[in-house]
Amino acid sequence: MADGQEEGVKTMREETIIQKILEKAPYAEGKVRRERRIEFKIPAERIRDFLMLLKEKDFESMMQITVVDWPNDGEYELVYQMWSYTHAVHAFVKTRIPRDLDKARMPTVRDIYPVAETYERDAHDFFGVYFEGNDKMEMPWILDDTEQGLFPYRKDFDWIGYVKKKYKILDRFDEDKDNYVI
Amino acid sequence: MVDWRLFEPLFNYARKKSMWIVAFCTGCGGIEMPPLMTSRYDLERFGMMPNPAPRMADLFLITGYVTPKTLKRIIITYEMQPDPKYVMAHGSCPLNGGPYWDSYNAIKHLDKYIPVDVVIAGCMPRPEAVMDGINKMMEMIENGTADGWKRYKENYEWYKKNQDELFGEGWREREARRWLPWLMDKKKE
Ligand code: SF4
Repeated sequence: MADGQEEGVKTMREETIIQKILEKAPYAEGKVRRERRIEFKIPAERIRDFLMLLKEKDFESMMQITVVDWPNDGEYELVYQMWSYTHAVHAFVKTRIPRDLDKARMPTVRDIYPVAETYERDAHDFFGVYFEGNDKMEMPWILDDTEQGLFPYRKDFDWIGYVKKKYKILDRFDEDKDNYVI
Repeated sequence: MVDWRLFEPLFNYARKKSMWIVAFCTGCGGIEMPPLMTSRYDLERFGMMPNPAPRMADLFLITGYVTPKTLKRIIITYEMQPDPKYVMAHGSCPLNGGPYWDSYNAIKHLDKYIPVDVVIAGCMPRPEAVMDGINKMMEMIENGTADGWKRYKENYEWYKKNQDELFGEGWREREARRWLPWLMDKKKE
């Protein structure tokens, strides 16, 4: 019990930040993860409104956009990781979009946080999420021409099969074994 | 008329004592270079030094895993070097893929694409191991067995076949043209 109270006192600051943000954004859900970590869940189409709001509320920096693939749910989870220098708080903004390649579309946030351009290209290269409004979407990024359009970080990408085909050296390995010695 | 072959032992001695390195670090091994260069292991006592221009370099250190994208640059840089040129590969990644044996984006056998003279095993080899490799390299240069550059010329068809198999024909031109549309757009703005 005492622990819980202490925890409550420690995360007071985070609670107030969340409350202030949720006042302006009733569509979002927010919770404290632990000290200095807060988490929001929002519907995908409100992402621009929400990030503009976060920027007003002193979340000056975007650290990353990560994509998590949930093939069983048929969804991608996009996590926008925001950092506030003023409060020293890390906020996760989570949203879910369908994972079918033609439906995995998001509005870009490049004009709000210019650094998002890089992360959006990254998500496009490896997962096939298309960010509407980012005109550098088709620009070559990390992957070479041979892998472009394969989206190798999707969970249903046939990794070993692709390696066998591309490098022609893994034929002597047995897929049922889980322990390889090279 | 001078028969220059007479002077070959002298040349080899000079080559051995003045290996200049292309400062091109791939993979994790770049982090082993600072201890090698600085006072503890002090490579310069062997007459080696890092050099920014491949046109002036003899020794090419491949310091870790090589992705196909890097390999294109490595091949081009290697071909830019003047003869004689030597390649030393660090670690298990260029040797057989190492921990990236099942990665879609790391090549498994470097010696299929460019000739390698000395390979140092380990993940990552300690600087002592690298020093040992350098010693070996010097020995090989002195007795003329570090002949990767000759092998590359003689078996160019084979190397080219492997390179083309991985990258597709005409990869040099494609690579050069790849960025053009994006650079042109930038200028218009
Ligand atoms: S052999 Fe190990 S240390 Fe060297 S590049 Fe590969 S993973 Fe990195």
